[in-house]
Amino acid sequence: MKLLIKYSLIILLAFSTLSFQQTQNYDTNAKRKAVFLYNFTKLFDWPEKMKSGNFIIQIVGSNVNLNQELNKMASTKQIGNQKLEIKITTSLDPAIKPHIIYLLKESTDLLKDANSKYKGNGTLIITEKTGAAKQGAAINFIVADNKQAFEYSQSNAKKAGLKPGDEISGLAIAVD
Amino acid sequence: MLGVCHEQYGQSDSLFKAQKLCNEKKYNEAIALLEHAIIDAETKNDPHTWHIRSYAYLQNFKLSGTSNISKINLLDTSLSSALISIKLDTAKNYTENNHAFIKNGAGIYYKLSTILLQDSLNDVKSDKLYSKYKSFTRIINQDFDFKARDVEYYNTMGSIFADLYMKNNFNQKQGEIAKTSLQKVLEIDSKNISANINLGILYYNQGATLMRMMDYDVDLAQLDIIQENAKKLFKQSLPFMIKVYELDPNTEKALESLEGIYSALLDEEKANEFKQKKEALNKK
Repeated sequence: MKLLIKYSLIILLAFSTLSFQQTQNYDTNAKRKAVFLYNFTKLFDWPEKMKSGNFIIQIVGSNVNLNQELNKMASTKQIGNQKLEIKITTSLDPAIKPHIIYLLKESTDLLKDANSKYKGNGTLIITEKTGAAKQGAAINFIVADNKQAFEYSQSNAKKAGLKPGDEISGLAIAVD
Repeated sequence: MLGVCHEQYGQSDSLFKAQKLCNEKKYNEAIALLEHAIIDAETKNDPHTWHIRSYAYLQNFKLSGTSNISKINLLDTSLSSALISIKLDTAKNYTENNHAFIKNGAGIYYKLSTILLQDSLNDVKSDKLYSKYKSFTRIINQDFDFKARDVEYYNTMGSIFADLYMKNNFNQKQGEIAKTSLQKVLEIDSKNISANINLGILYYNQGATLMRMMDYDVDLAQLDIIQENAKKLFKQSLPFMIKVYELDPNTEKALESLEGIYSALLDEEKANEFKQKKEALNKK
């Protein structure tokens, strides 16, 4: 009898609940950005004074999925001997000396301030708004052919006190 | 219970005994006699012999439990005996009963085909039994329209294997079975909402998986390749979801999926468009 009930339930389930599959609730864009950011840590050489302590990536603005992805990355990856630390802020915090500062779209207005504040200090400025690479960002995320890509300003990277590796130019859309 | 009495047709003594045993539900004993009867010169060409054999095997199978796949040979023997009986029965004395046996057996094949899908996940055996269900049903009803059943069966198979594909860490084989099954549904009914949605989600999930499984330290050249492959899958997913949306713009799953697909394709404008449509639908 138990077997009969079991099979009756199986058939009932099979044909009465032709349910839709579950869409993966996963932000692929956040993962792409995390992979890009991790790559950037290897494509530039930071000044000696930045090679001790934690390697800080500061996100300015709100993107919950990106924050989660970066924290996950920080829990498994290191930058050389430096521990990876993610800081989330809504403004340019003077107490933070980031290796990378990523201004989310809604924080692009802070680009000018960021440029003057971090000039020559070894902070890679990243943005995600059209034209931002020509306004001071060293890296600006763009979309090309339904894929994530980035614009690169070598002069802005150098102004920031970073030594770009040879590889980066071949991977980016150069703006200067 | 068999309703044809032996005096009327004058079968041999062993045939009479077999029928009596059947009426007493002693099917194994009846089968032992019937196995002789089908090779005996006097009874082997008698449609009644095969008719009783069909009945005895069918009942024996049912006694073992109608979900007992290991005893499927009993059902096979029952139905093949009914077919021989039909062939020999030029007077058509047993047609009604033989058809009833076949109808009954075909229904069991169908039921078992669904159990195999759910329980033992054997798609090949399931498909084989489903084919048997169809071929036997066709014997008793040549005009039977299988479209609805095919849609139901292959939608179920597609749905089960798509689910398994996700649960079993994106098992390639299970993903392919899901796709093939859902494509079969769309060949019959291109407007089938369930198959369109499930195929769309399947492709989308494959693309999302490529991204999810990617290690953080893949280099940018590799990332570009992964993005390209994922993009192809997201684009493959798109037409299925657009179709569902066109068929019914109020299908929330389609709106939600289209938002996700366009977002994965980094088309912010389109993603927002469907996000807003979904929100508007939820406000209604």
